Amino acid sequence: MRSLVPSRRRALRAAATATAAALCVSLLAACGSDAKSSAGADDGKPVTLTFWGWAKGTKEVVAAFNAGHPNIQITFEEIPAGNAGGYAKLSNAVKAGNAPDVFNVEYPQLPDFVSQGAVQDISKLVGADLKARYLPQATELTSLGGRTWALPLDAAPQAFYYRKDLFEKAGITAPKTWDEFRTAAQKLKTAQPDARIATFFPDDPTTFEAMAWQNGARWFTAADDAWKADLTGPETKKVSAYWQQLIDEDLVHVQPSFSQQWTASLQKGETAGYLGASWGGGVLKSNLGTTPDINGKWAVAPMPTWDGNPASGMLGGTTFAVSKDSKKAKAAVEFATWATTTADGFKARIASGTSSAFPAATELVPVAKQAFNTDFYGGQDLYAVFPDAARSIKPGWTWGPVMGLTNGSLKDSFGKVAGRTGTIDDALAAAQQATLAEFKNRGLKVAQ
Amino acid sequence: MTIRTTRTGTARAAATARRGRYGAPAVLLAPFLLLFTACTLVPIGYAVRLSLFTERHSGLGFGGTETVFTGLGNYTRALEDEAYREGFLTIARYCLLYIPLMAGFALVLALLLDSALTRAKRFFQLALFIPHAVPGIIAALIWMYLYTPGISPVLDALETLGTQPDPLGNPLPAVVNMALWQWTGYNMVIFYAALQAIPREVLEAAVVDGAGPLRTALSIKIPLIKPSLAMVGLFTVIGSLQLFTEPMILHGTAPGVVSTWTPNMYAYTAAFERGDYGLAAASSVLLALAAALLSFAVTRATRSRSDRRKEAAA
Repeated sequence: MRSLVPSRRRALRAAATATAAALCVSLLAACGSDAKSSAGADDGKPVTLTFWGWAKGTKEVVAAFNAGHPNIQITFEEIPAGNAGGYAKLSNAVKAGNAPDVFNVEYPQLPDFVSQGAVQDISKLVGADLKARYLPQATELTSLGGRTWALPLDAAPQAFYYRKDLFEKAGITAPKTWDEFRTAAQKLKTAQPDARIATFFPDDPTTFEAMAWQNGARWFTAADDAWKADLTGPETKKVSAYWQQLIDEDLVHVQPSFSQQWTASLQKGETAGYLGASWGGGVLKSNLGTTPDINGKWAVAPMPTWDGNPASGMLGGTTFAVSKDSKKAKAAVEFATWATTTADGFKARIASGTSSAFPAATELVPVAKQAFNTDFYGGQDLYAVFPDAARSIKPGWTWGPVMGLTNGSLKDSFGKVAGRTGTIDDALAAAQQATLAEFKNRGLKVAQ
Repeated sequence: MTIRTTRTGTARAAATARRGRYGAPAVLLAPFLLLFTACTLVPIGYAVRLSLFTERHSGLGFGGTETVFTGLGNYTRALEDEAYREGFLTIARYCLLYIPLMAGFALVLALLLDSALTRAKRFFQLALFIPHAVPGIIAALIWMYLYTPGISPVLDALETLGTQPDPLGNPLPAVVNMALWQWTGYNMVIFYAALQAIPREVLEAAVVDGAGPLRTALSIKIPLIKPSLAMVGLFTVIGSLQLFTEPMILHGTAPGVVSTWTPNMYAYTAAFERGDYGLAAASSVLLALAAALLSFAVTRATRSRSDRRKEAAA
């Protein structure tokens, strides 16, 4: 009993504990860093590279590379997907000075990582002939300020995945335009009241961004050494109005992306479609392939467009970047080149069965096509749909330098859209404001 | 301790005595002080240092960064940010809902266990305490599963009964529920221990005076375990300030749980989503100060009257 009486000292100790715990976040940054040996290949010993990534099939790619390259050995560590904590882990490692030599980063986050000084300029190691092998829309996103910062793994054109059987039952076909999409959504809901044609992902602004991109919006431009942010232009507003209406009329589900909820809804046939990108085909397959009664019933179609002509934005897409302080940039670029441009490298990824990445080095499309098992899609060739979509990716899009903040802000206010207490337009306006404030805060030059 | 006999002079004996007096405590304290310095003082110092600097870019920002001293700039930025202040409001709302419920449940359960009526005391004690043995993050994941419509058996069952519960749409009660599940048993054990320490003769006297079980609980037992109530209150308030794990797990699925829902989440987001370590450090330091101030205030306010009298007499 006595010992339970709170005393002042006890309170102080509690306060100290609280302080320590509250500071944990900052403490993480202080955790020790291993000194990296900078042994090159000159002494005859193989170069050992550390590599962090999460893209589907990466383990297989690394195994194949290591088997064929006695002089460079990759130590692969699988980290959580970028937005699920992978980027936090990476930026933390960079800050602590123990970043891996090479890591995966998606196009939207690349400028942010470059801007924070996490990425090494590899312009000198990437020749014009190598660059020419990638889709121009992809190299455009890995060149910032006239320098090359990463090698693109996949271009990620948008694609629409849907359940053939449910569509047939509702008497609809894959919509070609967004008007048709809404009509199809209504028909599907009438035919099967608990089913919706697709999902609005409140946790994933990149899906919405790809839609805006498809309509010709350009959220960020870097001209004359100054940034411009335009999240609320007419091209974006058209898309936001369209989606707001779909949500208001309850024609789409509102569920987090890749959540258990979303997967369960797909398994039960309550979600009949998925507006995703090329890589989504592999994700769907690996998430749902074990559900026997829907295996083989999925199909892929080009993304609906506004005017019926092919058009696409890019949704995600992964690159290989070399970390700022790595002394092994040459070996790292060699590995990245192999993984992104050789048939062996790409085959290993697709043959893992979990990836349907569309190679940024487009000459590898036949390789990917051959390696991809199409049973889940009833034998349909995904790689017959992707190339046209990839060619139709609108050029000129640039990701902003504070994308972590921009997307974070959008994510927070998309939550209000889900809770019906805010609109997509509110979210865009708030993100625009937050982005401009962060430009100022970081000291970036902003165009007037 | 061994006693040494020595033939040397008094000076040496005095030195030995001094060593004896300070040596043992020094040896015993050293591991604590070492760890305390390495794991608490140094990180706090580092965080304070980080909080005074910021990284500046120029032009398009691709030319690298420059670390500049900003003084209290990060602190004013954190305090000016509505999202940060909103986080403290969330905590306040959380405390208002959680503390009365948790303390109430824990107290009632402890009184029930303490009363002569209860059978299988050991079993109930253990059963109620078990949730606390589950790590917080695991508990949060389990609850998230139970909260998610479409996969939760509980929600399915409730839906067949005609209700439409939406725990993910009401994150505050959802988080409070998780905390209740995890902490009620723990605090019940504290209350129960305090109740067991009440002198039996006091209780007997109450019975002799004709007090029933309820009257005994309200007029004798609860007043006598007030110090435990105060302590549980203090620890709960401080624990609440650090609310992080549960809402962080919910952040992915419950749209209402924004990335800055609590001050700790704000610091996390600032560091790892925005890459703004200065702001993260400043908001952490502010949070720590708030915790220190609050614990001071709570201790002051809940000190028993006799303590205060003693102080006044001194």
